[in-house]
Amino acid sequence: MGGNAWRVLRPLLSRLGQAGLVALLVGCIGFALMHALPGDQAFRLAAERYGPDIVDARAAAAMRAELGLDRPLALQLLEWLGRVVRLDLGRSLVTGEPVIQELRVQLGYTALLAGMALPLSALIGLPLGIAAGLWRGRWPDHAVLSLAVLLRAVPAYALGLALMVLLSVRLRWLPPGGFEGWAELVLPSLTLALGLAAVSSRVARESVAAVAASPVLAFARWKGLSERDAVRRHGLRNAAIPVLAVLGLQLIGLVEGILIVETLFGWPGIGHALVHAIFARDVPLVQGTALIMGLGVVLLNAAVDLACLLIDPRRGRQAA
Amino acid sequence: MSGHVRLRDLTVQAADGTPLVAGLSLAAGPGTPLVLLGETGSGKSLVLQAIMGALPPHLRRTGEVVLDGQPLPEGRARRGLWGRRIALLPQEPWLALDPTMRALAQVAEVYRLVRGMPAPRSRAEAEQRLRDLGIEEAARLYPFQLSGGMAQRLALAVLRATDAPLLLADEPTKGLDAARRDEAALRLRDEAGRGRTVIAVTHDIGVARILGGHLAVMLEGRILEQGPSERLLRDPAQDYTRRLIAAEPSQWPTQWRAPSIAPPRPAGEAVVEGRRLGKRFQDRAVLREVDIAVGRGEVVAVLGPSGCGKTTLGDLLLGLLPPSQGEVRRAAGLAPWRFQKLYQDPPSAFAPHQSMRDALRHLGRRHGLAPTLFEGLRDRLRLPPALLDRRPAELSGGELQRFALLRALALDPVFLFADEPTSRLDPITQQEVALLLRGLVSERNLGLLLVTHDAMLAQRMADRVFTIEAARLLPAGRAG
Amino acid sequence: MSGLAFGRRVAALPCARLAGAGLLLLLLGFGLVGPWLIEADPARQDLMASLAPPGARFLLGADHLGRSMLARLAHAVRLSFLLSGLTVAAAGLLGTALGLLAAWEGGWLDRGLSLLSDTVLALPGLLLVLLVIAFAPGQILPLAGGIALALWVEFFRVTRAQARSLLARPHVEAARLLGFGRAYILGHLILPELAPILFTLAGFGIGGVILTVATLSFISIGLKPPTAELGGMTSEMLPYLAEAPFQALLPSLFVALAVLACHLLAGGRPR
Repeated sequence: MGGNAWRVLRPLLSRLGQAGLVALLVGCIGFALMHALPGDQAFRLAAERYGPDIVDARAAAAMRAELGLDRPLALQLLEWLGRVVRLDLGRSLVTGEPVIQELRVQLGYTALLAGMALPLSALIGLPLGIAAGLWRGRWPDHAVLSLAVLLRAVPAYALGLALMVLLSVRLRWLPPGGFEGWAELVLPSLTLALGLAAVSSRVARESVAAVAASPVLAFARWKGLSERDAVRRHGLRNAAIPVLAVLGLQLIGLVEGILIVETLFGWPGIGHALVHAIFARDVPLVQGTALIMGLGVVLLNAAVDLACLLIDPRRGRQAA
Repeated sequence: MSGHVRLRDLTVQAADGTPLVAGLSLAAGPGTPLVLLGETGSGKSLVLQAIMGALPPHLRRTGEVVLDGQPLPEGRARRGLWGRRIALLPQEPWLALDPTMRALAQVAEVYRLVRGMPAPRSRAEAEQRLRDLGIEEAARLYPFQLSGGMAQRLALAVLRATDAPLLLADEPTKGLDAARRDEAALRLRDEAGRGRTVIAVTHDIGVARILGGHLAVMLEGRILEQGPSERLLRDPAQDYTRRLIAAEPSQWPTQWRAPSIAPPRPAGEAVVEGRRLGKRFQDRAVLREVDIAVGRGEVVAVLGPSGCGKTTLGDLLLGLLPPSQGEVRRAAGLAPWRFQKLYQDPPSAFAPHQSMRDALRHLGRRHGLAPTLFEGLRDRLRLPPALLDRRPAELSGGELQRFALLRALALDPVFLFADEPTSRLDPITQQEVALLLRGLVSERNLGLLLVTHDAMLAQRMADRVFTIEAARLLPAGRAG
Repeated sequence: MSGLAFGRRVAALPCARLAGAGLLLLLLGFGLVGPWLIEADPARQDLMASLAPPGARFLLGADHLGRSMLARLAHAVRLSFLLSGLTVAAAGLLGTALGLLAAWEGGWLDRGLSLLSDTVLALPGLLLVLLVIAFAPGQILPLAGGIALALWVEFFRVTRAQARSLLARPHVEAARLLGFGRAYILGHLILPELAPILFTLAGFGIGGVILTVATLSFISIGLKPPTAELGGMTSEMLPYLAEAPFQALLPSLFVALAVLACHLLAGGRPR
C-alpha cells in the first residue's frame, strides 16, 4: 500500500496540475484577445489598470514605457500569465471596477443557483434512475429512459422558455425572471436541474442495474442476509461509486447549463457576466469569469475525488 | 448437522421447451462429496442453481429437491434456507466478494446478521474462521488485495460461518493455475470431511479425482453414468467417459521419452538461440542469465506457474520484446515471418470482424501464396471448408487453434512458440491439438517451444523440459 | 460516464435506430430540398402579417416581421446540418488521425498530444467555445473553429485509448509476426473495430453541435440575425413569447427533433 497520505495527495496534485492548465489556457487566450482588440494597446491597458476615466495620451505613453509594449511578445505573455496566476485580473474595460470585485458578487449568485440545482437534480434524477435500475427491462425503465432521451434533445433555453410559458405566463405561479427573492430562483434552478437529472438518472440506472445483477449481491443473499441487509451493506455503496465518479462530469454540464440559464433568466451570476462581457468585448472580465468558472470546476472535481477515496477502498491502493 | 439430499426427476427447460437438464435423479449425504463432471454446456451448473432455487427467470424447472426428507419449498420461501441450510461457493469468488468491505467484516456479518450474535462475539468467531483457513493476516485487507487462492479461502470462511449442512460448489477451481487448483480441491474435500454434504460441479477430471466420493458424468443435460469416483475413473462403462479419461495428459501413451535430465543444447543446429538473456520489468527481474536453444524437429518445453516469466522468454526469442541483457540469435538467411507464435486464448489471436476466408486471403496476397497451399493444409488439419466463412466468435477453441496453425504453417515456419496452446480447450480437444502439434514438428522439421503450467503435458510432448525458478531456467527431471 | 451503456440502452429500444434514421431523413429532406420547393423568400418581410398564425398563406405562421416561418425554418435546418456536419467531419478526421498516430508512435509524440488534449479538456467545452468566439462574436468562423477545437479531443481520446488496447491485442501481434505492415494493421484491423464507436461519437457530436450553435445564437453570440438560425429565431421572437408561443418555440422543436434523430441513430455513447 502506498500510504494514506499519498493516497489523498496524489489526486489533489493532479487537480492542481489541471488548475495550472486552466490558468495557462485562459491566460493565453486572454492575452491573444487583448492583442486582437482594435485600437491602441497602451490605452486599453492603462484603462484596464487605472480605470477608463483618468486615461489620456500621457498615461498611455507612460504605460507603454512601463510595460515595455515594444518588448518581445513572449516576454509580455509571460508577464501577463504571471498576473493571471496571482489572480491579479485587472479592471473591467466597461465599468472600470476591478474584475475581482465584480466576480465576488456574481459568484455568490451563481453558487446560490448551483446550490439549489444540484440537490434538486439529485432529488429528481436518482429516484427515477434507481427505480429504472430495479425494474430494468420493464415499463418504469423504458419510461425513464424515454424521458431522459427526450430531455437530452431539448435545448436548455427552450426547456426554460417552456417552463416560463407554462408556470409564469399561463399559470401565473412564478415570476418569469430577475432576482428579487426565492420565487425567482425556482425557474432557473428547475431548468438546470432537469437537464442534469436527464444524465444522472441514466448513471444511477446503469449502476443500480449492474449491482443488482452482480455476483456480489448474489453472494450476499446466498450468505443468508435479508434483502434489506444485502442491499444496505453490499448494494448501496457499490452502486454509489460510479454515480459519484460521474458527478465530476456532471459538473461540466452544470457550468454549461449555468451559462445558458443565467442568460435566459437574467440571473446576475458569473455566466451572465461572461456572456455580456463577450458582447462588450470586455477582455479582462471575459478572462476573469472564464478563469473562475474553470477553476471552480477543478475545485469541485477535487472534492469529488476526495469523496470517491472515502467510499471506494480500491482507489489509490495497490492490488496484492 | 444432517444434510441428506435427493434429487427426483429434476428437469430444467429453456423458454422454448428445450431440455437443458433432463430427468436427473441423484442422492448425496454428509461426508461423501458428490461430483458432477462434464464439459461446457452439459447443464451441470444449472443443477446447482436449481437446488439453490436461483435459476434465471426464463428457465423452467420441474421435479423436486428433497433435503432431510422434506421437499424444499418453492420460490421465495427457498430463500429462507440460504445461509442456514444451503450454502453456495460461487465461481471465481474474487468477483463475488464485496470489493468495498474488509475481509473480516464479510465473515462477521454472517454471525451478526444471519445468526444474531452480538458484535464482539461475531468478530471473535470470524477471526477464528480466518485462522482455521490460515488467512488471519488478511482480516483487514480488501478482496482486491487478495490472491485468487486467498479469495477462495475467504469465501469458504464465509460459508463455514453459515454452518449450513449442504455446500454447493460451482467450478471451484475456475481461474486458478495447476498448483492452486489442487489446493482448492483439497480444501473442498476437507469440508466434506467435516461432515458437510458437498455437491461440486467441475469440468476437470483432476479435481474430480482429488474430491473422490461419488461421481456423475454429465453430457448434454443427462447423466451418462455414475458411481463411486475411484471405481468409475478406473473402469468406466461408457465410451465418452473413457475418452474423457484418456485425454488427460497423464494417460497419454508415452511415445517420446524425455531423458532424465534435459541436455542444455539441441542435438543438431539451433534455429533460434538466446544467450545470457535477462529481462526486467521496472524493478522486477523476470528472467536472469537464461541460455536456451531450440533446434529443428524438436519440442522444448518450459514449465512454471503463471507469472513466472515463461511467456516473456518466448516473446524474447520471437523479438516481440527487447531483452534487457544478452542477445537472441536466429539461424541465418531466414525471413522474419518463418518464426511464428500460437496463442493461449485462440479467439483473441484473430481479428473479430474477419472471416477465416478473408484472413487467409489477405495472408496469401501478402506473401503471394497459391490457394492450393491453403487447401492442402486445411485437409491436413481436418478443417472442413464450411468453417471458412465463419468469424472467430462462431468457431470453437479447437477449430480456431487449428486455423492459427494453418496460417502459421502456410509461411513454412522453422520455429513455433506455443504459449499454453491447449489450456483453454476441453480435455478431448486438448489431446487432439497437442498430438497434432507433436506430429507436425517431426513432419515439417520445425522447432517448437512449448510453454505450459502442466508438467504432465510437458513430459508427454517435449524432447527436453525446463522449468523457471526464481527467474532462472533450469533443466527439469523426468516426473513419473 | 456510462455513456456507452446509455447508448446501448437507447439502441435496445424497439427500432430506436430505425426511428432515428427515418427522422433524420425527413429533416435532411426538409433542409436540403425545402429551400428549393418553398417559393417564399425567408428574408421577405410583410409587417402587415406580423405574427400571423398558421394558415393558408403561411403554413407555419409568420414571425414578428411577417416572414414565412416555413421558409426560414427550412433554411435554418439546412444551416444547422451543414455547419454541424462540416465541423464534426473536420474535428473527427483530425482527432482520429492524431489518436491513431499517438497510439502507434507512443513516446514523446503521444505524451505531447495527450498533454495538449488534457489542456483543452481542463476547461468545460462550452467555455472554450465562448473564449474563441470572443475574438469575433456573431461570426461563423470562430464559432465553428471554437467548436471543432473542443470537439477533436473527444475523437482523439477515444481513438487513442481504443487503438492502444487494440494494438496490444494478440491478433495484432500475430499480424505483425505474419509479415503484415502498418497500413494493413491500421486499415484492416484497427479502423474496422473503431468504426462503430466513431460513428456513434459522430452522431452525438452532430447532435451536440446543433444544440451548441442554437444555444449560442439564442444568447446572441452565435450567428447574428437576419441569418435564419434555429436558436436565433427563438431569440428574435422572445419579446412576443406570451402572444405567439407557437412561433417562438417552433424552432426549438426542430432543434430537439434534429438532436433526437442524431442520438437515436448514433445509439452509442454521448460525451
